[in-house]
Amino acid sequence: MIRVRGIVRKVPVFPVILIIAAAMFPRHLQADEPRSYLERIHRHAARTSTIAENGDTNPYAIVIAPVSVGRVQAGDILVDNFNNLSNLQGTGTTIIDFNPSTKKTTLFAKLPQHLPQCPGGVGLTAAMTMLKSGWVIVGSTPSTDGTTRTLGPGALIVLDATGQPVETWTGPDINGPWGNIATIDNGSTATLFVSMAGFDVPGPEVRDPKTGFSVTVRKATVLRLELSIPEGKPPIINSRTIVASGLSQRADKDAFLVGPTGLALGADGTLYVSDGAANQIIAIPDAATRATGAGTGRVVTKGGLLQRPLAMDIAPNGHLLICNATNGQVVELDPATGRQLCAQWIDADQAQSPPGNGDLFGIAVTPDGRGFYYVEDDMNTLMEAEASR
Amino acid sequence: MNTRSLFFNRPGRGSRPANLSHVPLAVLVVGLLSIAAALATPPTPVAPEEPPSTQPESSGETGGFLAGISRSGYLLGDMWGLRPLLSKGGVSLNISETSEVLGNITGGVRRGFDYDGLTQMNLQVDTQRAFNVHGGTFNISGLQIHGRDLSTDNLGTLQTASGIEADRSTRLWELWYQQKFLDEDRLDVKIGQQSLDQEFMDSQGAALFVNTMFGWPMVPSADLPGGGPAYPLSALGVRARLRPTDSLTFLAGVFNGSPVANNTGDPQQQNPSGTSFPLSGGVLVIAEMQYAYPALGTMVYADESPALSGVYRLGAWYDSESFADQRFDDTGLPLADPAGTGIAATHGGDYGIYGVADQMIWHSEDDPDHALSVFARVMGTPQDDRNLIDFSLNLGFTLHDPIPQRDDDTLGIGMGVAKVSGQASDADRDVGFFTGSLFPVRGTETFVEVTYQYQFTPWCQLQPDFQYVFNPGGGILNPASPGNRVKNEAVIGMRVNIFF
Repeated sequence: MIRVRGIVRKVPVFPVILIIAAAMFPRHLQADEPRSYLERIHRHAARTSTIAENGDTNPYAIVIAPVSVGRVQAGDILVDNFNNLSNLQGTGTTIIDFNPSTKKTTLFAKLPQHLPQCPGGVGLTAAMTMLKSGWVIVGSTPSTDGTTRTLGPGALIVLDATGQPVETWTGPDINGPWGNIATIDNGSTATLFVSMAGFDVPGPEVRDPKTGFSVTVRKATVLRLELSIPEGKPPIINSRTIVASGLSQRADKDAFLVGPTGLALGADGTLYVSDGAANQIIAIPDAATRATGAGTGRVVTKGGLLQRPLAMDIAPNGHLLICNATNGQVVELDPATGRQLCAQWIDADQAQSPPGNGDLFGIAVTPDGRGFYYVEDDMNTLMEAEASR
Repeated sequence: MNTRSLFFNRPGRGSRPANLSHVPLAVLVVGLLSIAAALATPPTPVAPEEPPSTQPESSGETGGFLAGISRSGYLLGDMWGLRPLLSKGGVSLNISETSEVLGNITGGVRRGFDYDGLTQMNLQVDTQRAFNVHGGTFNISGLQIHGRDLSTDNLGTLQTASGIEADRSTRLWELWYQQKFLDEDRLDVKIGQQSLDQEFMDSQGAALFVNTMFGWPMVPSADLPGGGPAYPLSALGVRARLRPTDSLTFLAGVFNGSPVANNTGDPQQQNPSGTSFPLSGGVLVIAEMQYAYPALGTMVYADESPALSGVYRLGAWYDSESFADQRFDDTGLPLADPAGTGIAATHGGDYGIYGVADQMIWHSEDDPDHALSVFARVMGTPQDDRNLIDFSLNLGFTLHDPIPQRDDDTLGIGMGVAKVSGQASDADRDVGFFTGSLFPVRGTETFVEVTYQYQFTPWCQLQPDFQYVFNPGGGILNPASPGNRVKNEAVIGMRVNIFF
């Protein structure tokens, strides 16, 4: 019973409680709101150490093998390392191969520190993909002292399915291949989108007096490469198109480089790019077909939950999953509306402030869509996040 | 942390506390001076994950171990191929040196500076890589302790000035195997020779500081046999860690009740090489509950202001060994009474409880590295008849990235309090009564510390340090100045950490 102004009335208590509870319930959990992809993710398990046999550290790219070929099984996880054993950035030369079925981790590739036609040496980055034809293409943004002071232009290196380098792609439009590669793979042809973040980047000691950070150079690009893949032969570049340009890039004394890092292709052909230095996500419309560049593209979202966005991938619901650089969160973004739905702590290591600061990089949604792989570079570990069973 | 004394036996199983009526006062005073020369957790020899800022230099040549030395995590890089060779078998090797010069410029028993140092070597085997066995880690570590101990030489403090002060020795420290179990590795069990200061009562913020009590705290240092299984000692035991939810972790262990077989005398001398592995006597049981925010899987929404990160710990320990009474002998007379036996009464078992909080309270939106955190650790035991210290407190603030472009530096200010138990204070009164002389009654010792950790390179940290101690030793007599207590002390110094 509820007494109202001295009048005793019989009021059903249970519905009242429900109404009050509904009012108090967080809006994002109310029934009229769509559940996000990340809210279904409750399990986080370490899968393997990413430290290579030679001691290389700092895992960056994550690629899920699309086919079984050579030493790789379909579904294997390839992870490359950006640092050597001494933790010098831009000097990692290895790619490990984790088989989720056998739980075994093997060395897929160990490149020499110096390759002919790979200017500046080898330092493997987040730019990596594996084609259905078995070729692995990986970016190199090398340094000799662990900073951009000795930055070499780098290259895209083509490896066969046994991890042997067979070709090196360079050119005036390739300088610091950096972000995760977005790929359209039709078997005999393929289109790659690679961000370049090395053009005229000085050492981290060259600072902008206004911000105190290393100077920002607005010369980063996104390069589209259209490939044909002859049977049994390495891919051939048929055309090269800069689809985005004038993006921000700068040296960073901790992160080496800050620039466009995450690339993900939407179903409508829009390429989404994480513009880390500007703390925003941009969109390049018709990225696979456009003949001209889109400049700095259209801003989809900026700030909010984003904290210097890194690699990203597309969840089964079409939302972008974006790793943050300066905390251990992955952010879910609806690219159609530009709305940031939520974020989840996937690295809560309180040894950093905020937790997970500087730990995340690559991300790849699992083939069944129930979760995603990511790396923790403080622990040099490949992690898997997935929905509850 | 260990309590040790050159002249005084710490209470414990089999110990025979000095009969105060049978020793000259001067010896007693010196003994009190040297009581509880405490030790604590040394700096963890882990090279930073990401290289920090360095000044421009001409390095950049390829080849040779000097290549990229200003950015390398280790002074010796790959150790001429040794580290990659070990890495192939899942073996990691860390060697570090902590060296420091500390001295008191005011107060103390005498003034002056001492050098002391610690070389740590740690070898771990990842069984996944070595044997394809998931979740196993084998660990062995050793210590080489050198130099002199300022706190014993000059200070006479309860809360000793440096966490690495210990007897000069080369000793085994830890030797254990850890195995993960359950889905998501929610359980792990560690078995073997363990140093509890590596996991229990831990405060991340406190780890920055030089004073011993920011490592292994004062209560277990002074009250547990041998100071408890903590640097440079350890004890055989089993520890389990369970993570039932992402936010909650339970840590519990059972260990030998003392790190040494014979609690008489300096425990480090009882086990000089760390290889006696005693399993006799009582047991030490310790349990701790930890709550952390954020945890893996914690959600954050765009329309919310998430709380800042923090870790909270609540724990308790119980040791079943025998503990000597602080005041009375085995006939019920005061230990200071000439008519007494001089043999302390004993009590079975001892326990304490503690709480630890680490909380970030602010960070810059523009530069998340620039963050201010607070930590606090309180610890107590109600059984003051058998404990020298019945309460201790650590409190402090740390400011990370305190100066622009110094992302990996940390400034800290902290304090420690150690309260001598009522029973021990009454024992001091007894001495005064039975000797008919003025004898200081020990109370509370407090210190403050200001320190700045400067990262010169990822493999080299420099740490200037200042400490000021109020009421050293709780208010003990100064043997160098009869009739006077040891005056308050200002301690300055410099610590250097090098990762090889």
